[in-house]
Amino acid sequence: MVDIGTLSLIILLGMFALLAIGMPLGFASAFLAVTTLVLKFGFEPVFADFGRGKLNVMGQAVYRQLTNYVLISVPLFIFMASLLERTGIAKDMYDSLNVWLSRARGGIAVVTSIMAVIMAAMSGIIGGEVVLLGLIALPQMLKLGYNQNLAIGTICASGSLGTMIPPSIVLIFYGLVTETSIKALFTAAFLPGFVLATFFITYIIIRTRLHPEDAPLPDPVPGEPSSSAKRLLFLAFLSCLALITGIVLMLRALFFTVTGQNAIREGVDPIGLGMVSDLPYLAGSIIAMLVLMFFVFGRARTRQGWNMGKGLVAPIIVIGVVLGSIYGGITGITEAAGMGVVAVFTISLIRGEMTYGVIWDSLTRTLKSTGTIIWVTFGAAALAASYTLAGGPSYIANLIVGADLPTMGIIMVMMFIFLIMGMFMDWVGIVLLIMPVFLPIVRTLPLEEIGFIGQLAPNHVAIWFGVTFCMNMQVSFLSPPFGPAAFYLKSVAPAHISLTDIFKGFLPFIGIQLLALSVLLIWPSIIEVFL
Amino acid sequence: MSNQVEDTRASVWLGSARNVMRLVAIGFSIATLAIGAWLIVANITGGTQVGMNQLLRPEGNVLVKLLLGCFLGAILCFAFYLSDTVNPIEVQPTGPFDVFSVICGRVAMMATAAIVIVMSYEVVSRYVFERPTLWANELSLWIAGFVFLLAGLYAMQQRSHIRIYIIYDMFPRWMQKLADCISVFLIWVFAFALVWGGFNEAKAKFLRMETFGTAWDPPLPGTIKPAILLIICLVALQALSNLIADWNKAPEHHSPADDIDEDDIAKIRKTLGDIDNG
Repeated sequence: MVDIGTLSLIILLGMFALLAIGMPLGFASAFLAVTTLVLKFGFEPVFADFGRGKLNVMGQAVYRQLTNYVLISVPLFIFMASLLERTGIAKDMYDSLNVWLSRARGGIAVVTSIMAVIMAAMSGIIGGEVVLLGLIALPQMLKLGYNQNLAIGTICASGSLGTMIPPSIVLIFYGLVTETSIKALFTAAFLPGFVLATFFITYIIIRTRLHPEDAPLPDPVPGEPSSSAKRLLFLAFLSCLALITGIVLMLRALFFTVTGQNAIREGVDPIGLGMVSDLPYLAGSIIAMLVLMFFVFGRARTRQGWNMGKGLVAPIIVIGVVLGSIYGGITGITEAAGMGVVAVFTISLIRGEMTYGVIWDSLTRTLKSTGTIIWVTFGAAALAASYTLAGGPSYIANLIVGADLPTMGIIMVMMFIFLIMGMFMDWVGIVLLIMPVFLPIVRTLPLEEIGFIGQLAPNHVAIWFGVTFCMNMQVSFLSPPFGPAAFYLKSVAPAHISLTDIFKGFLPFIGIQLLALSVLLIWPSIIEVFL
Repeated sequence: MSNQVEDTRASVWLGSARNVMRLVAIGFSIATLAIGAWLIVANITGGTQVGMNQLLRPEGNVLVKLLLGCFLGAILCFAFYLSDTVNPIEVQPTGPFDVFSVICGRVAMMATAAIVIVMSYEVVSRYVFERPTLWANELSLWIAGFVFLLAGLYAMQQRSHIRIYIIYDMFPRWMQKLADCISVFLIWVFAFALVWGGFNEAKAKFLRMETFGTAWDPPLPGTIKPAILLIICLVALQALSNLIADWNKAPEHHSPADDIDEDDIAKIRKTLGDIDNG
């Protein structure tokens, strides 16, 4: 009825209008799905007879989302993060990291960043992390007289890493929408996420070297070991960790041997570090660690090192369970999230912090967030299905390709759109509504023109674009006027720190994020390093 | 948590029947556990062969039917009981329909925990005992389908669906009311269109309880397809109920800070203890 160009324009304007009047995003998309069908096929044919017809594509799209196994990982990751917030794991981790670096210039800021990376590897959402860091590290930095902007920026920028370092809920949704392997996305995002964190830490170190008044050192605690002694203590702690890892792997290999799971079979891949032939090596490393602990470092030092560092053990276990399940080939993303919930629950139970109330609060929050996120998915799925039926995506692709822009020009325009939309809209909406239009375009771009150094393999384009998108969303968490990280920090910061102060503190860190984004654009094959 | 602490919290709708509901729920749970234990013992001693297949399709096995009935009763009664107290991080229910949505929310919360349990069972039996189950994945999928749907209803009652308030907040109150009316009307249009397009398919699948076509073969399409239509209608009703409940409220101003709950932060603070000494 209406040609596809006019239709696209009507949908776009309709979306703006409906969002402006405050209609929930998911339902606005869903209503526009109906509009699309009516405009494309006419009112009469669509509503010709009750109970069937073109309108059913919307119901089918919703049903496909509902029966998607990977989608279950979303409530589970949220559940895990909610439980994690209500344990003392984060506090202990902070204490353990702080003892090693308390004498270094800018130490607490660096500790905050490192802690954020570890927490990011445990959970895949933001919000909780910023709140926790704001409660734990901000009072310490302000008390020591740290520059307020540096303290705020460090907490919020590092706290947003949750969705950049795997597991990441943003990448899960990207993978769902674009049918890209989520495991590959996680692997690809690891290095860029790490690079971003390294940039933050480098910035902190350089800034505090140039302006020592930004990060005063704490008064030495009497009886505190000197830095060289700390180094030895840290090595002793590492040997403890290695010993535990060795014992766990040994037990695992022995278990496999007893049950016969690791018998050498034709066509079955050997289990990593779980075969009979691995046993001597494992035993050897355990003995080596014991020798190190008892004879090189000495028992007293080992014990002291262990006591100083033991707060790191719980986070390492959680990371081991979640990422280990995914990369050890044990389970998929969904089950890894489920195991993460079990791991956090168990640790918290052992620590004596788990109560009925904590579980119930966490479930309440999980359900609220799940309903909010998943129903945007339903609306967007309905809209995408109707728009595809109307021939929308190919129209848009032709439009952009026909515009005769240089490849990097098109990419830059997309990045700009992401950044602007990220200022006003939640990442869920962007990934669900924009990605189905943008990714097909990126796929048609000539490979050799993407980036300046190195060249992407054809099957890695979608992965690269996903990681790039994820980096864009890092900026959106901080960008005024609605950067969620600012509001999370505001809720826990002392009253005299205003929102304007907080956004002011973000500026250098937004610059660093854009720098990391440009690294991804200039050298796209950075994502292929671990693939 | 002791009885006294529970009872000091305001009752939403059950009033003095709250404790009765609690006892009934516990009774159903004990009955479920007892029958379950009996079936397990009978299975081990070789008296019966009741597995997940029989649980899905009881086919005249009275004991299994009783078990499922008690289980359902326990879940419903616990949902009734739990919906009677409002968590401080929740929006207070204001009418009968709100209470209904909260009950659905409570069922979905318990179901979320159930997914974790089912998944752990599967992982342990697959990797420790090398006996993967045929039913765990499909059961999680089935439960999760309903969790996702009910979560939307609950989120609607909690007014937590993602909205953009930049322009909305600038409106005078009468325009906000008008905008809300338009939103609710358009949600109704969508619900109407969805039912119009999907009714026959959902009805047909429900009537023959169409199954998933897998080993355990749960009736996923047969139950979820009609549930989509039903719950969309409930969400539309909830939207209308919200519109009526919020009609006389003063103009509100929103910021992303609304998502953050003071009470929640107080609890996290408590968990972290006295941080200033750290």
